[in-house]
Amino acid sequence: MNKRFLYLLLLPGILFLAAFMLIPIMLTIASTFVQDGQLTLEGYLHFFRDGYFNRILFTTLRVSVVTTLVCVVLGYPAAYYISRTSARKKSILLALAIFPLLTSPVVRSFSWMIILGKKGLLNTFLLSTGLIHDPLEIMYTPVAMMVGLVHLFLPLIIITLLGVMENLDYELVLAARSLGASSFTAFRKIIFPLTVPGLIIGSILVFVGSLTAYTTPALLGGKERVISTFLYQNAMTLNDWQAASVIAVIMIVITFVVVGLMNKWANRLNPKG
Amino acid sequence: MALLSLEQVSVAYDNHFILEDFNLQLEKGQLLSLLGPSGCGKTTTLRLIAGFLNAEQGKFMFSGQDYTHVPVNKRNFGFVFQSYALFPHMSVYDNVAFGLRLRKLKEAEVKKRVLRMLDIVSLNDFEKRLPQSLSGGQRQRVAIARALVIEPDLLLFDEPLSNLDANLRVNMRVEIRRIQQELGITTVYVSHDQEECFSISDQVAVMNQGKIEQLDHPAAIFKYPASEYVARFIGFGNFISFENRNDEGEDIELSTKGFNFQAVKRLNGAGNKGLLGAIRPDDLQLLVNVVDSKLVSNTLPGTVQVSTYLGRSYQYEVETELGTFTVNQEMEEPFRQGQRVTVYFPKEKLVLVQ
Ligand SMILES: Nc1ncnc2c1ncn2[C@@H]1O[C@H](COP(=O)(O)OP(=O)(O)OP(=O)(O)O)[C@@H](O)[C@H]1O
Ligand SMILES: [Mg+2]
Repeated sequence: MNKRFLYLLLLPGILFLAAFMLIPIMLTIASTFVQDGQLTLEGYLHFFRDGYFNRILFTTLRVSVVTTLVCVVLGYPAAYYISRTSARKKSILLALAIFPLLTSPVVRSFSWMIILGKKGLLNTFLLSTGLIHDPLEIMYTPVAMMVGLVHLFLPLIIITLLGVMENLDYELVLAARSLGASSFTAFRKIIFPLTVPGLIIGSILVFVGSLTAYTTPALLGGKERVISTFLYQNAMTLNDWQAASVIAVIMIVITFVVVGLMNKWANRLNPKG
Repeated sequence: MALLSLEQVSVAYDNHFILEDFNLQLEKGQLLSLLGPSGCGKTTTLRLIAGFLNAEQGKFMFSGQDYTHVPVNKRNFGFVFQSYALFPHMSVYDNVAFGLRLRKLKEAEVKKRVLRMLDIVSLNDFEKRLPQSLSGGQRQRVAIARALVIEPDLLLFDEPLSNLDANLRVNMRVEIRRIQQELGITTVYVSHDQEECFSISDQVAVMNQGKIEQLDHPAAIFKYPASEYVARFIGFGNFISFENRNDEGEDIELSTKGFNFQAVKRLNGAGNKGLLGAIRPDDLQLLVNVVDSKLVSNTLPGTVQVSTYLGRSYQYEVETELGTFTVNQEMEEPFRQGQRVTVYFPKEKLVLVQ
């Protein structure tokens, strides 16, 4: 088939993206540099001088980083186990791992409210065992957001890692073992380095996802704000579209910087050069 | 005493036995090949010896010690995989150095040994390359170097040449044999290429469904298979079931359906047991004259059914009273289909199997 004709097939998609995504984003970005008809950085300076906003930014980054770390720590061993079991067990475990992805974030968040609330299951249980005397304040804190986000993104990192681990040739491990490596050394020198690229991609997905998530932090965070909920508040409650645009641009920039840095890191560590 | 011995070993995958009461002995410095059709348990045997698999029953003795439960990493055996299994994130140098570094040698000593080993496999200038930038033959040599550099007590090869093209395969097998003899390393080699096995081995074990059918020197197996299975496997395409056998004379006298045959008696009785005659298509001869086979022994009258051009020779399917025989014969003027001929069985080539 004619090559030019094949390009033509891309056209509808490109037009759609340009009209409904690229152009609005450009306009949004452009609008943040203009105030009262003048070119200025005032919109941004205003935010970074504001202690409240800085706190929100810090909370957001902290929640995202901790969520990512917890997902890595929980997801890596799980993915490794799943990759090494028999085919039948694998499909069951995989279905279980993916299941949370299939329920709506709203439903999931409400379940966490039931568990984490002041009179929730967790507190009731801990109080009844006498481990604590006053109920823990977990609901409507960054910790609650992290719990919800970990629940949300764990499947994602497991699936990503599983893809890498299933492609890992187990004979490499046997080769290392026959050369004198203990199971642990074989893991450290062979499996781990070869799965680092997957780990980084998975981490990027979780980090960016946590950074931009709205429903979960909104429902579990209460008055605690992260940038996405702050953005929503500015736009919808305060009707300050200028501020909302500035926040949106800051969010996009952070995303790009983080993805760029981690990609660079991934490329350096990528064994296949 | 044998260096390596498997005694009554059984191995199972999910309660399905692949090896049962398996026995194998190997002397120090020898190269033994396991030969057999796909799925007969060659890889399983090798992995059992390497320690990747555990035996359900039986004992694995090595160097007079019980190795049955010694873990893989304590065995000091080199393993060369069919897929080579080179570490993709390490250079050629680091791949070869892997085992030495685990042995906590000084880096200077590691370097000396790695470079010497790369020299032996003629990969001197390749230290810094990554495995995926090497050709198949080069990867294979890295895999061998990596297994050899730890000075293994036993070297195990699982079809190391099957991914290479025909020419390279021949060169590499000569190379493997040279290195193995030079360093005097006891070796178990798996392949289903018969020529490969016969050309590099001191001993060949022909396997069938988890059992060793015959273990002998390559030439002995090639000439005197002990069973019908081995005979078929190594290319004895023609069989005659005899009814009577008489060992009193100079030759063995055989007969069936009024036809008489003679087979040469051999020292130590190799290829002389049983009532089933076997002969290779290359060893049969077709004669133009039709003789009275009831009077002339080792002949059978027949009719050419199919004639196939093989390049070097013609292959004929000849129908006789004792069944159809396959004959390979080189000649100027080929036989026609339907032509009456005499099949001649030279008595030195006729082997008896059980
Ligand atoms: N991991 C496994 N799980 C279950 N059965 C297996 C496994 N590995 C091998 N088998 C079975 O064990 C038998 C012997 O396999 P093995 O790999 O030893 O054969 P092989 O002689 O090396 O064959 P090939 O020449 O094809 O490599 C086969 O029937 C195979 O299906
Ligand atoms: Mg095999």
